Amino acid sequence: MNSAPPLPVEDRDPTSTELAKCDEASLLGLLDEIEHRHGFIPREVSDELERLILVRLERLKRIQGKLESTIQRDVQNHVATWREEEGNLIMILHAIQNQHGYVPREAAMALSRELGVTLARIYEVITFYHYFKLQPPGNHSVVVCNGTACYLKGSLELLNELRARLGISEGQTTADRHVHLDVVRCIGCCGMSPALVVDGKTHGRVKTSDIGGILDSIKKQEAKK
Amino acid sequence: MKPLTRTDLEAYGRQNGEMKEWIRVQLDTGGIAAGAEEALAELTRVRDENRLTIPIQRVGSVGYSFADPVVEVKCPGLPRILYGQVSAEVAALIVRDHVMKKRFIDDHAMATRQRSLTIDQPVTQILVRDTGADTGSKTEFFQFAFVEELKRRGLAERVQVVRALDMGIYHEGVVVQLLPSGLTYSNVLAADVARIVTESVAERRVLDDLLFKMPNPQVRIVLRNCGEVDPDSLEDYLTMAKGYQGLRRALTGMTPEQVIAEMKTSGLRGRGGAGFPTWLKWQLTRAQKSDERYVICNGDEGDPGAFMDRSVLESDPHSVLEGMILAAFAMGSTRGYFYIRAEYPKAVERVERALVQAREAGLLGSNILGSGFSFDAKVRLGAGAFVCGEETALIASIEGKRGSPSPRPPYPSVKGLWGKPTAINNVETLANVSAIILHGGAWYAKNGTETSRGTKVFAVTGKVKNAQLVEVPMGTTLRQIVFDICGGVLDDKDLKAVQTGGPSGGVIPDKHLDTPVSYETLQQLGSIMGSGGMLVMDKTDSMVEVAKFYLRFCVDESCGKCAPCRIGGYQMLQILDRITRGRGTTADIGILRRICTAMQKASLCGLGQTAPNPVLSTLRYFEEEYKAYIEGGPSYARKTSGRGQVVETSKETAKAAVTP
Repeated sequence: MNSAPPLPVEDRDPTSTELAKCDEASLLGLLDEIEHRHGFIPREVSDELERLILVRLERLKRIQGKLESTIQRDVQNHVATWREEEGNLIMILHAIQNQHGYVPREAAMALSRELGVTLARIYEVITFYHYFKLQPPGNHSVVVCNGTACYLKGSLELLNELRARLGISEGQTTADRHVHLDVVRCIGCCGMSPALVVDGKTHGRVKTSDIGGILDSIKKQEAKK
Repeated sequence: MKPLTRTDLEAYGRQNGEMKEWIRVQLDTGGIAAGAEEALAELTRVRDENRLTIPIQRVGSVGYSFADPVVEVKCPGLPRILYGQVSAEVAALIVRDHVMKKRFIDDHAMATRQRSLTIDQPVTQILVRDTGADTGSKTEFFQFAFVEELKRRGLAERVQVVRALDMGIYHEGVVVQLLPSGLTYSNVLAADVARIVTESVAERRVLDDLLFKMPNPQVRIVLRNCGEVDPDSLEDYLTMAKGYQGLRRALTGMTPEQVIAEMKTSGLRGRGGAGFPTWLKWQLTRAQKSDERYVICNGDEGDPGAFMDRSVLESDPHSVLEGMILAAFAMGSTRGYFYIRAEYPKAVERVERALVQAREAGLLGSNILGSGFSFDAKVRLGAGAFVCGEETALIASIEGKRGSPSPRPPYPSVKGLWGKPTAINNVETLANVSAIILHGGAWYAKNGTETSRGTKVFAVTGKVKNAQLVEVPMGTTLRQIVFDICGGVLDDKDLKAVQTGGPSGGVIPDKHLDTPVSYETLQQLGSIMGSGGMLVMDKTDSMVEVAKFYLRFCVDESCGKCAPCRIGGYQMLQILDRITRGRGTTADIGILRRICTAMQKASLCGLGQTAPNPVLSTLRYFEEEYKAYIEGGPSYARKTSGRGQVVETSKETAKAAVTP
């Protein structure tokens, strides 16, 4: 869809194939030109556009439906594992977050239906605990430990360095969705302070000068993809 | 594993699983972060390359975080030795030199803490290190001097001189340890080298004037199996650590009342912080009339700077499980929960494996060991809420709800999980229980002080030379812990204060360092025992910033249910923030004190009641620092707190203050 918009020939309207190749922005430009030429938008063009839009919508709906049924099935599986347990909500949320990296709204809604618990109560629990996330994380996570030992040994300097290099602050994801930066209380590696967790791997005794190398290795992994 | 019978277990109890040779790699989260898995891979590769058969075992951590990754080696004819900071290259050397050539490796060997006062075996190795300086500057000279002297006496073939990584002794000049006996000399001068070689090495005579006589101040009860057994193997726990023998003893020869009586004799008090007598908690729970009672292991170690519980769960999960089964037996409970932080994935994994193994072996389930007693346990994950360490909030969290605390009474021992009587015990408490029932309450009570019996594990971190887990009898002084065991302050700066008890605790200034540690003495000093985090701070750390750090933590973690904690904490944080920017007024200190009192008196749960402690204790001992900020103004503040450490009030904090 992102191919360069075909330049319309001066004295004729675009064909339906040409229209179908346009993205939204170039469509708008085309429509402006057509309107300018005729003083109005001819019926054939508007009908063709409507058809195209419906086709695209249909396709999107199919994708969404597929997603929803997958999510529904996954949630049903999680619920089945924990069905017999009292107080299973938090454990199911852990399972969902482990799978998606966050708790998607659709999953929370499916869970509400499966468990017969109101959505409000599910969100009450999700938002209470720091561990549960409502936004999709980046492809890679960088977590700075800010336990007391790490704090005393300069974890804030590491955090400032990361903020400066990534251009985001904690709890945010870079615009290219490559890196998600976060701060945690304590990961219990106080003997190795200050500590960072990068994609689940703990790095101990980190210096600000190490940050560049750590981010470079993430960049390399992204480039390989 | 097939279900065990009593006879099987009895047979295991008589076993001495000690093998004649092994290499143990300590794989806890800290060790793995430092590269223990790389060391393990290299050890295995080089061993196989050389077609050796020495077993390589995966164990938990002995607690020497400063030396991670740690590898321990035992070979026939050589003393057991710990190697610290084992990189892949060192791992290869361990196989090629230590195992194959019986030669120790310089700069990585660590001296044993079990120091002997006699030389009962011919000396084969001499460990040497200059403990006067960080760099160990005179170590090489002394190594050379010993080698030359040994050559002159014709002993060089028999005795190897090794530069040590750590002697466990600090600021005692050059320290020398003769292995395998473990006899240790301190403050050794160049002139003593010849004497040591002629008298001690050649003739096994002890030189009394040099002898380091101070016994090892550590007593390992909770950490008894850490670094000794494979945490993923029930077999290891059974054969090497007298595993489940306490349970066998209780189930075959004791009534629940006798178990509680044994706990009473031991004098064990809850190791989670408050210090409530464990036996009393069990008795109260047992006394409730109910069809079901629950036992919960609190592994929600949320204090920043504390990692004892993680280490015990990762290194020795079965001993905690055995303690839980014993607690359940004493209280007549059939179901238990391990509540563990989701931030500790290794601990969760190992406890879950321990549960599966125990179930297979018939140590969990119905009719355990044919005694008619049934019990099973499950793991529940925390989700990053500090308040869930509070028992009523923890119960709410297990029930799948928000972790909001509820007013006590009723206490959980009356009305806890699902409204049933519930006993909540800390990880360390339960690890103690299995040892107490095996060895008896009187054995346990031998350690400690009159009111605080037994031992306590501390995670000593911060600006300390050797960050590590320390287990000492109650009554040991803070100075002994920080200076004698952990080597004092990093870079030999002056110590300013020691913080205990995490965000609920307080700071203890250097003038009180000689206080013996117990629940009461720490409370008198305005701090608490807490779960055992011990943060060392040097002269450059601003106490106002430290108070702000802890307070911010509590404000972020406040659940927002009650006003004193939600609003009081936020207001105090604003004032502290103002002061650390040099914009405080003299009236601020009075206001801080008033808000502290209000929070202590009126908050619903322990979090709010103890959140002012860091502020109060820094005010008590370091009020002049607050005043210096106020009088010095912004320029002073920039200089003192300016190390890029001032962070904007986080969004969460602001949110906590406005959410009703």
